[in-house]
Amino acid sequence: MSDTSPNPEPSPPASPAPDREQLLSVSDLRAGYGPVQVLNGLDFTVGSGEIVAILGANGAGKTTTMRALSGMIPRTGTISFEGRAQARLRPDVILRSGIAQVPQGRGTFSDLTVEDNLRCGAYTAGATMNEDIDRWLTTYPRLGERRDQKAGSLSGGEQQMLAIARAMMSRPKLLLCDEPSLGLAPLITKAMFATLAELRTEQGMAILLVEQNAGLSLELADRAYVLETGNIVASGTGDELLASDTVREAYLGVG
Amino acid sequence: MSLFIERMFNGLADGSIYALLALALVVIFRSTGQLNFAQGEIGMVGAYVVSTLTLSGWPVWMSILAAMAVGFILSAFVERVVVRPIEHRNPGAVIVALIGAFLALNQAAAMIWGVDVRGLASPFPTESDDFVRIFGAPIRIERLGIIGVLAVLVFLLYLLFNRTKVGLAMRAVANNQDSSNLVGIRVGSILLIGWGLAGAIGVLAAAMLAPSAGLSTALMLGPFLLASVAAVLGGLDSPLGAVVGGLLIGVVKAVLVGYVSFVGSESLFPVMLLVLLAVLLIRPNGLFGSATVERV
Repeated sequence: MSDTSPNPEPSPPASPAPDREQLLSVSDLRAGYGPVQVLNGLDFTVGSGEIVAILGANGAGKTTTMRALSGMIPRTGTISFEGRAQARLRPDVILRSGIAQVPQGRGTFSDLTVEDNLRCGAYTAGATMNEDIDRWLTTYPRLGERRDQKAGSLSGGEQQMLAIARAMMSRPKLLLCDEPSLGLAPLITKAMFATLAELRTEQGMAILLVEQNAGLSLELADRAYVLETGNIVASGTGDELLASDTVREAYLGVG
Repeated sequence: MSLFIERMFNGLADGSIYALLALALVVIFRSTGQLNFAQGEIGMVGAYVVSTLTLSGWPVWMSILAAMAVGFILSAFVERVVVRPIEHRNPGAVIVALIGAFLALNQAAAMIWGVDVRGLASPFPTESDDFVRIFGAPIRIERLGIIGVLAVLVFLLYLLFNRTKVGLAMRAVANNQDSSNLVGIRVGSILLIGWGLAGAIGVLAAAMLAPSAGLSTALMLGPFLLASVAAVLGGLDSPLGAVVGGLLIGVVKAVLVGYVSFVGSESLFPVMLLVLLAVLLIRPNGLFGSATVERV
């Protein structure tokens, strides 16, 4: 059942691929819903242990990008993860390969207890489940206190922590976070971004984040892309994007 | 007094059959949001399979288990072939398709096994002296056995849902299919198992009912209606509600038919629907249905 090694570090590919240091390498990604194409050919990369943000307004295609990477919708193009082609795989196979998603709106199982939510997160990981449940309930004591409560009764911030912990239960190498700040109060959002930063410093977790909250995202991320109506229109380090007047005014609304 | 106790146990035994069917309906409703109109007919077909197997010399319990396996496959087949292809195109049309499946199964059974009422062997002792006295009232062992079957099934379902990985996945899929996909649950397979499970439970209900009611293609029509009432009464998404609703309907029916002279078997359904309406006016989610609590 489990192909998750106890060591979460990715092993380097045997043969030197052109994008060898990249964990995730995407090129010409196209996807949409039915006849409507939302993504018009995206190219981006995420390196090992890197935090990358994709910024954009409503309808830019952020969630579509996440769902395409997780295999939830039909897509074309190349998605290479640790040198393996992923564009045609099923969601459960992609998850087993090491990409887990924290969906938009948190997507917790509201009728299930906190503990059962974590069990579901370990659905593909089996052997490491009990150890990881204890670990995450200790890491996030608020969840530990609510272990037997239904997830639907948690506050928005607690549910977001639960959604992150649930994704981590599969022991991913890359965490996809779809608008984790959505609907959260500013202070809670700050705490949640600090949690993401900890995942990287403590576990070397690579994170791909899509967000509308450009300010906080650029502080957290090593690099960012700006997405506009299905096309990447700018990219660079957080500082570069924050310094670019055009980007600030046109896309980030932080001018 | 003795007659009252006897009627109570008969009501509980009938109610156990409604509860089994209602449980099957709830298992499907929770995962797909559909009321499976074909549920009763799958059970009826299964009862004919029991009949065929016992007539060819199989022991009764083994025949029932084999027929439950047939019911599992038949119900899973209905999900895969009738429900799933239609569902994402037009969810409303699924109801019509399921009524179609109901008619098709009913007609197919009539063509294969004929329309005459036939007997079916009971898995319990049914001689005239097979009863025990409870507070002086003679209660047939068959009646107690049916109640026991419900108790065992409820226990097994509890274990399945709360102690197994498949059960966890079934609860997850019932709650949120999108997130289930994201955690690597293969939703299609889980739905198939859910429908199959409901089919097997439906066959069990029919196999409990047919020995006393007589096996015909009309076997499950009345019980299916009463089980639907029981399921709605219990809240449609609550297994506990299905059991309580089913037993309640059985007891209410026994009391009405036994003590209220103008309620005969014909006027039973209107009376039951009035009971249902009254309950839903006071508790729109049924007795145990979840009024969804969700903070954002």
